[in-house]
Amino acid sequence: MDKNQEPVLLRMEGIVKEFPGVKALDGVNLTVRAGTVHALMGENGAGKSTLMKCLFGVYKKDAGKIYLNGEEVNFKNSKEALENGVAMVHQELNQALKRNVMDNMWLGRFPMVAKGLPFTSEKKMYDATMAVFNELGINVNPKTIMSTMPVSQRQMVEIAKAVSYNSKVIVFDEPTSSLTENEVEHLFKIINMLRDRGCGIIYISHKMEEILRISDDITIMRDGQWIATKPAKSLTMDEIIRLMVGRELTNRYPPKDNVVGDELLRVEGLTGMYSHLRDVSFTARKGEVLGIAGLDASGRTEVLESIFGVATRKEGKIYINGKQVLNRSATESIKNGFALLTEERRANGIFGILNIRENTVISSLKSYLQGLLLSDKKMADATEWSIDAMHIKTPSQYTQIRSLSGGNQQKVILGRWLKTNPTVLLLDEPTRGIDVGAKYEIYQLILDLAKEGKTVIMVSSEMPELLGVCDRILVMSGGRLAGEVDAKNTSQEEIMTLAAKYA
Amino acid sequence: MTKLKDKKPSKIAELKAMSPKDRKRAIGDLLMNNAMFIIIAIAVIGIWIAEPTFLSIPSIVNIINLTAAKLPIALGVGGCIILAGTDISAGRVVGLSACIAAGLQLTTNKLFPGLGVMPVPVAILAVLVTGACVGFVNGFFMAKFKLHPFIVTLSTQLIVYGIILIYMQLGTNSGQTLSGMSEAYRNFVTGKLFTVGNTAVPRYVLYSAIIAVVVWVIWNKTTFGKNMYAVGSNEDAANVSGVNVVKTIIMVFMLAGMLYGLTGFMDAARIASVNANTGLNYESDAIAACVIGGISFVGGIGKVSGAIIGVLLLQLIFVGLNYLSVDQNLLYIVKGVIILVACSIDMRKYLVRK
Amino acid sequence: MEENKTPDSQQPQRPFRGLYRNVKISVKTLDRIIIGGIVLLVVLILYGVANNGYTVTFDSRGGTDVPSQELMYGDLVAEPEPPTREGYVFAGWYSDENYRYPWDMETYQVSQSMTLYAAWEEAP
Repeated sequence: MDKNQEPVLLRMEGIVKEFPGVKALDGVNLTVRAGTVHALMGENGAGKSTLMKCLFGVYKKDAGKIYLNGEEVNFKNSKEALENGVAMVHQELNQALKRNVMDNMWLGRFPMVAKGLPFTSEKKMYDATMAVFNELGINVNPKTIMSTMPVSQRQMVEIAKAVSYNSKVIVFDEPTSSLTENEVEHLFKIINMLRDRGCGIIYISHKMEEILRISDDITIMRDGQWIATKPAKSLTMDEIIRLMVGRELTNRYPPKDNVVGDELLRVEGLTGMYSHLRDVSFTARKGEVLGIAGLDASGRTEVLESIFGVATRKEGKIYINGKQVLNRSATESIKNGFALLTEERRANGIFGILNIRENTVISSLKSYLQGLLLSDKKMADATEWSIDAMHIKTPSQYTQIRSLSGGNQQKVILGRWLKTNPTVLLLDEPTRGIDVGAKYEIYQLILDLAKEGKTVIMVSSEMPELLGVCDRILVMSGGRLAGEVDAKNTSQEEIMTLAAKYA
Repeated sequence: MTKLKDKKPSKIAELKAMSPKDRKRAIGDLLMNNAMFIIIAIAVIGIWIAEPTFLSIPSIVNIINLTAAKLPIALGVGGCIILAGTDISAGRVVGLSACIAAGLQLTTNKLFPGLGVMPVPVAILAVLVTGACVGFVNGFFMAKFKLHPFIVTLSTQLIVYGIILIYMQLGTNSGQTLSGMSEAYRNFVTGKLFTVGNTAVPRYVLYSAIIAVVVWVIWNKTTFGKNMYAVGSNEDAANVSGVNVVKTIIMVFMLAGMLYGLTGFMDAARIASVNANTGLNYESDAIAACVIGGISFVGGIGKVSGAIIGVLLLQLIFVGLNYLSVDQNLLYIVKGVIILVACSIDMRKYLVRK
Repeated sequence: MEENKTPDSQQPQRPFRGLYRNVKISVKTLDRIIIGGIVLLVVLILYGVANNGYTVTFDSRGGTDVPSQELMYGDLVAEPEPPTREGYVFAGWYSDENYRYPWDMETYQVSQSMTLYAAWEEAP
């Protein structure tokens, strides 16, 4: 069981990377031995991604050395890294979605009918793909079009691609963020298989349970610095958090002291026009935090989008204080007191190149009108209120929002919605991609809002978070409401059972 | 934390606070990002030395006049670029508006025999409506069908050209150049505003300035303006935030169309003769001016002042080269290269650094 | 925790929309392109200045040939020897083929390359 004797595959020593004004990496070390899974942990912004980008030549490192099998290497791009046996399975998959599986596997190195002939051989490609798939136990037809497959299978293809390059070191960047429990199991099986074949695996994830389960060694980074490398066996979850945050984090959730009042929102027979959402009915009370749990594609997000009117409803009625509201578009919903924090912050949450003020005022522009024109002072005051109330860390109101950390971006968007004076807040994965410390602040904000008498409906894929923050939890499964549980008297197991009901 | 709102970060203070290595890079960035301004400044100085009359008062007034004449169309195209789009129908819309304005102001009207000289406000209204209609079509197809702006405006550009050709065949005109417009109209546009030295500054410089102010207010002080920047920056986020994206896109293109209309209105009187090729290639000048002036194809970025500077610099260099008697044909190539270089510089500003 | 000091890992993966949405290029390469473009611009302008001058050609419209003139910006066209044509009388130079705009050699300055067209009246 002692794997300390295994040969070292990859060694990164004293890596330094500076961005203008910031030392993103300051002498970071990472040593990956053959046949081990090495977890890389740290809060967002600790420098994990930067370190990997230095390895793959996406960034040029300013100092430090990288050795692969004892030889110093300096990859110029990820293709060169791949050819030398260092592969990465990306968090966000870069694939040609309209092409089929084998096209994606062999992209850039299509097998030829014969040497020197400019024709690719479909047959060779198919056979080679099947060989890799059989080896890994992946059950996918190589001729399937990528876009018709679920994310989990697409990820499997990505892994197969890494294996087909005969990679010795494989980096997994947040591989489970969009997988279901079963898919995670399969992924772990594959990772274990790769480990047994002598591969070195670098595993980046935020999910402690996973890390403790699968990894042999853990390297922890904080603020661009190397903090510790220890065998996973010798660490507990609390210790890891302490090392990552640099201080004790006794409570991961703020105390729940919101008071649940009368019924405010009633939803009846919500059915989607273009989604698989079927007949969802529930109520939410004043001052309540209502959670929505479920696997990916269970219809969690669609519930919120249908209520908010950005996804078209086929049927379904929404009542606020007993009065029916139509919510046919986002504009109308905002008028009716709804607010939606979207799941994909980058894709449809922030206006990246606009500054914080513009990001704050966009949903409530009408309230800053003075006559026909917008008042700069009113907008500045509103933004300042938001920065103060949300504890947003920013050098000024004129900072581009894309230069803030994920947590602060999320707070800016929350601030944007609070300026519309909502009574019902719909939050879709409010803490996704946010580090542990900032998560706590977001939870606190959610509870504060509930205390003010607002209704918060929150979708999350992290069950502990739902149990820690919510009053009640709705469980979605296969587009239907599978059940409702009281957050105080339930367990993850009960929720998981419900979530699998119609899946 | 409390004094946040008044603190715009100053470039010089930032430079001082840096390590020598960062400072070197920052200065390099500064040079590269402003390379276009630098090169134009050097060119202007060079031309001035070779041909001192280039910066004499009549010549400067001429450059300002040309800038004023081209500014409205640049502002219109600028709005489309802020939406992360572009508009290549601009030049033809200018042409159509010029034809319409001229057609309503001819003293001997071959297009509409019997129609006398219409009052000037009628001509203004006519060009505004024309521009807005084309703009609506552009915006509608872009917003509703998510078509690429190039495709939509390429199509409308063709349609507008066809309309111009048919229009010029009306009555007994049979496609001839329109000239001989009413004194009232010509005076309204090109009449003397005031004189500098012995050179008269025409009235349309004032109109152009007013248009610039109005556009500035629309872009910066209205809900519509903020929505425009938001849609240009991230359409999906704008939609979720309750911005009516379709309406915003259509309105931006309608506003642009009206600005082209006004450009055509001024051009007909300025050039005093209008034919089917009036306005040809104006959009390339306008796009070049916008990109030089920092209105970015990234979307969501751009200022009115940028458009003004862009148009002015472009006129400076082209009038200057004209002074040096540089071949007209070569200027097209120069213009194309300027657009490409300006785009590369613009791209560089928003690139993630390695 | 100095959160906003870490632009690296927070950079959006697809931060660009608009017309540059798929740009993947290093600053160094882009710098070379920009400098190359500027050099090209300078060369073009210098070439233009070295070969400056506008050509005014005379289309005698069936009359005897008239040699073209090389002129600079702001110059006046030198009155050429009038062409002759059997059965017609020369009636001046025009700047367009439709004879709408007569070219006044005394006052009009050259600002671009152009062609002047001879007008003819039938001999009495």
